[in-house]
Amino acid sequence: MILIRVLHAETLKLKRTLAFRMIFVAPLLVATLQFFAIWKQHRPGANFNLWETMPKGTLGIWAVFMLPLLITLETALINGVEHGEKQWKHIFALPIPRYAVYIAKLLIAQTLAAASTLVLCALTVLVGLSLTRLRPELSHAGAIPYVWILKYGAFVWLAAWLIISIHTWVSVRWPGFALALGTGIGGTFFAIFAASAGMGKYYPWLLPVNVLSVERFAAALSLGVVGGVIAAVIGCVEFVRRDVV
Amino acid sequence: MQKHAIETCGLTRRFGARLAVDDLNLSAPDAGVYGFLGPNGAGKTTTIRMLLGLIRPDAGEVRLFGAPLAAGRLSLMRMAGALVETPSLYPHLTGRENLEVTRRALNAPRGLIDEALGVVKLTQDADRRVREYSMGMRQRLGLALALLNKPRLLVLDEPTNGLDPAGIHEMRDLIRRLPSEFGATVFLSSHLLSEVEQIASHIGIIHQGRLLFQGTLAELQAQRQEHLIVGVKQPDQAVRCLTDAGWSARSRDDGLLTVSATSHDDAARINSLLVNQRLEVFHIALAQATLEDIFLTLTNGRSEARRAA
Repeated sequence: MILIRVLHAETLKLKRTLAFRMIFVAPLLVATLQFFAIWKQHRPGANFNLWETMPKGTLGIWAVFMLPLLITLETALINGVEHGEKQWKHIFALPIPRYAVYIAKLLIAQTLAAASTLVLCALTVLVGLSLTRLRPELSHAGAIPYVWILKYGAFVWLAAWLIISIHTWVSVRWPGFALALGTGIGGTFFAIFAASAGMGKYYPWLLPVNVLSVERFAAALSLGVVGGVIAAVIGCVEFVRRDVV
Repeated sequence: MQKHAIETCGLTRRFGARLAVDDLNLSAPDAGVYGFLGPNGAGKTTTIRMLLGLIRPDAGEVRLFGAPLAAGRLSLMRMAGALVETPSLYPHLTGRENLEVTRRALNAPRGLIDEALGVVKLTQDADRRVREYSMGMRQRLGLALALLNKPRLLVLDEPTNGLDPAGIHEMRDLIRRLPSEFGATVFLSSHLLSEVEQIASHIGIIHQGRLLFQGTLAELQAQRQEHLIVGVKQPDQAVRCLTDAGWSARSRDDGLLTVSATSHDDAARINSLLVNQRLEVFHIALAQATLEDIFLTLTNGRSEARRAA
């Protein structure tokens, strides 16, 4: 019950911030990019199958680039509102367990990432349908793979738990957008180099995209979920024990 | 036996090598306004943070309404409201929404929001965003947040900081009404004696982390003693001369000296002493110490004792 109360309070804090709008803006950018990339393709190869290629490509861009940046922004917004006027001292003086506050903030970040991924799944279908209308030569692609899109959308989201936990802790722990954004941009940028390395399969910011690879799927999914839970517990313990000076 | 809203026993907190609060034994009775007085950096905010469980003491214990804070912080905080330093507000939300955030977290009845807004006279501006509020309005909204859950204990840390004279007057009136109208005990910290003496029934004076005085305002006033006010054209030399002769003397902001002497005979002796040293005396009179003199004597005495140690 306490957690529901705190979640209820936390959602109000995000009113008039970018947090809810970004759920739609981020996937719209990726979907638009995919739409124009395929639409402008002069002559798709003979073996090109829209519903086999496009959802994987869209989820790939989402997982490697946009989702980590979205998580960076959302966690910075969710927790940044507490740093501006030192709201922590008011929150910690309320008769609310500190762990409930931390868990609520983490759950909101996870929910926003899930909602945005779901919007991307819907837009993926919409982009595919639009392309089959506009480019009749693509219309032989067969049935829409709703299950694959939703299943892999969920896997990408689950594998992102670790970076959600990392970003939640960073943005709760330190005030200001600079460090939170720096961590997210740095983590995402370094992923470009880590992708080709063998150890890249353990790199937190690559886990969401790694679930789209058969060889890396199991490691990415288990590390994302288990690592995410462990990182959340460590962050929560640190948060509960912290002095508010 | 009198019930206490707040009791601390041997409360101590260090920040690195600095001892911020040193063996503090507070007793704030369960009624009225307790003024917690001390200069900036005396340890008031650190003490308040320990009272609210925001930081942990290195030693000692806090008891609220007789119960140890460490054992039941959540249940005790249900009886408390706090405004620590600047109010913790979300500027992008309206005044009412700021209260709604806390109301949801506390699961308090919706009607309490209008009640709290009414008490701090913010009903008219409740639906404006907080970023448009003046400093005084923000401070009043901070107080409304502290009052939202109808607390039995209200902890206010420097609540008039940054307010203009009208705002200070308004806030003071509001705080004065709280014990009688809401039955709340108010624990108020301030570095301004003039502010505390107008509101508080009990006073604690803290300096360099230690409690120098604790009691009723009347008990503090009873410490008033007569002393001598001396005007000399060479005040620094006069202080040295009087100190060498065994008198306790200090310069005041207005250039006059305060000397711990209580009789006409003392006045005559001091006058002779200064004149014999070729110092030009232009004023000498017996006067009763103000509360400010007592406060300064207590805090200066402590500083000197520390330096001597």
